[in-house]
Amino acid sequence: MGVMASNLTTLPPPHSKRIEAWIYTVLNPLIESLRREVFLLEKGNLTWRSYSRKCEYLQPISEYIDFEHHPNYEDFLTDSLNVGFEERFSSHDQAVVHVENVAGRFFDTIMNEPKFRDLIKRSLEEYEAAATVEHPSLISMQQELPKAIAENLVNRADALPAHYAMHKFWQGHKDSLHAMVSDGDPLHPTREQTWFRAIDKTTADLKACSDELLKKLLDHRSHLCRTFDIPFAPIHLTKSQSPNEPIA
Amino acid sequence: MSPSPEKDWQGRLLILDTGVMRELVLFHAVQVLRFIKLKRDLRFIKNQHSYQKCVQFMAGFRHKTTSPSVVAELHYWIRKTDSPGHLKLWNRVYDEFNNMNIAEEVVKLTDMDVNQVARFGPVDVSLIEIARRNAEHSPCILTVENALCGVCEKANIRALSIEEVTLTALR
Repeated sequence: MGVMASNLTTLPPPHSKRIEAWIYTVLNPLIESLRREVFLLEKGNLTWRSYSRKCEYLQPISEYIDFEHHPNYEDFLTDSLNVGFEERFSSHDQAVVHVENVAGRFFDTIMNEPKFRDLIKRSLEEYEAAATVEHPSLISMQQELPKAIAENLVNRADALPAHYAMHKFWQGHKDSLHAMVSDGDPLHPTREQTWFRAIDKTTADLKACSDELLKKLLDHRSHLCRTFDIPFAPIHLTKSQSPNEPIA
Repeated sequence: MSPSPEKDWQGRLLILDTGVMRELVLFHAVQVLRFIKLKRDLRFIKNQHSYQKCVQFMAGFRHKTTSPSVVAELHYWIRKTDSPGHLKLWNRVYDEFNNMNIAEEVVKLTDMDVNQVARFGPVDVSLIEIARRNAEHSPCILTVENALCGVCEKANIRALSIEEVTLTALR
């Protein structure tokens, strides 16, 4: 525990600026980010990207905090009023790393699977034979197609927006591509089926972790706001905070 | 000029203006990725209904292109936002360009009429020039600016505002 830590005899005063800083620069951004995580995970959308091998919108906790507010985050972690959160954050971050690793293993496995490439080749030939305006040719994208399809499978993509070049292809062939990695003998799964199921398992684990952490953070914010008589959000937004807020 | 039923537009070249790309990027960020705060920045595609109308309209075009000047304008928009979000916004822009398989056509400044550039700016003039160069593909410019539509009409180039697209029923 750091020297600034609170204890029973030195509780911060009502309207404490330090606690206000925790609420506005640590708890509120984390609550918003974890709500997004839960929303994405409910749909199975890991936002995993092959180029970075990371989940773009499921991040370690510290990355949800603006860099300039990290001193507040460090203060939050070391104060006894917030005991237990460091461990919970660590569990969440480990779950994110785990899901990223499993997604990466699935991606590598399927990209090296000749059956996957054959199925894409056949599906593409079938699609191109029917090419019309509604079926725009994907020949110019064919090198990138396996990677895009594997990412869609990782991220459990359902329908793609109508203006995307792959919209009709995905609509027509996603079921057979999905079946290749999800159907089969449960007792003797292929390697890609094993990793595909592992994605479901690790996604569920991460969602459970995020759900629980979100509840704890909501309760804790409520407790701090009521105990120290601090509004849940700043009452007066400054001009610089309102337009063009950062995306994360 | 209102958009005709979908079939009439098929096979044409769609030329996209900055505002349209910005709306598509923002809508995805709000709706799919749940960046709720960005909702207030949406000006034209404010709900799923108008998004569907817009993307259905765009889906009727076999080819889509834009000008590198549009990318420069997107940069101008993104750099005005706080820096921690820049990478995520650019990732969304890259995704939208990749997923739409959108091309970019360079129009050299010196190939553009200086009087027009002075009057309308290099971005609008470059889009008009791309439309002129691709006249055989029956180009259509999709924009958020009514002023650009007016300029195009005078130049006998088909242009639609995103408002027209989202407010007009497509079959």
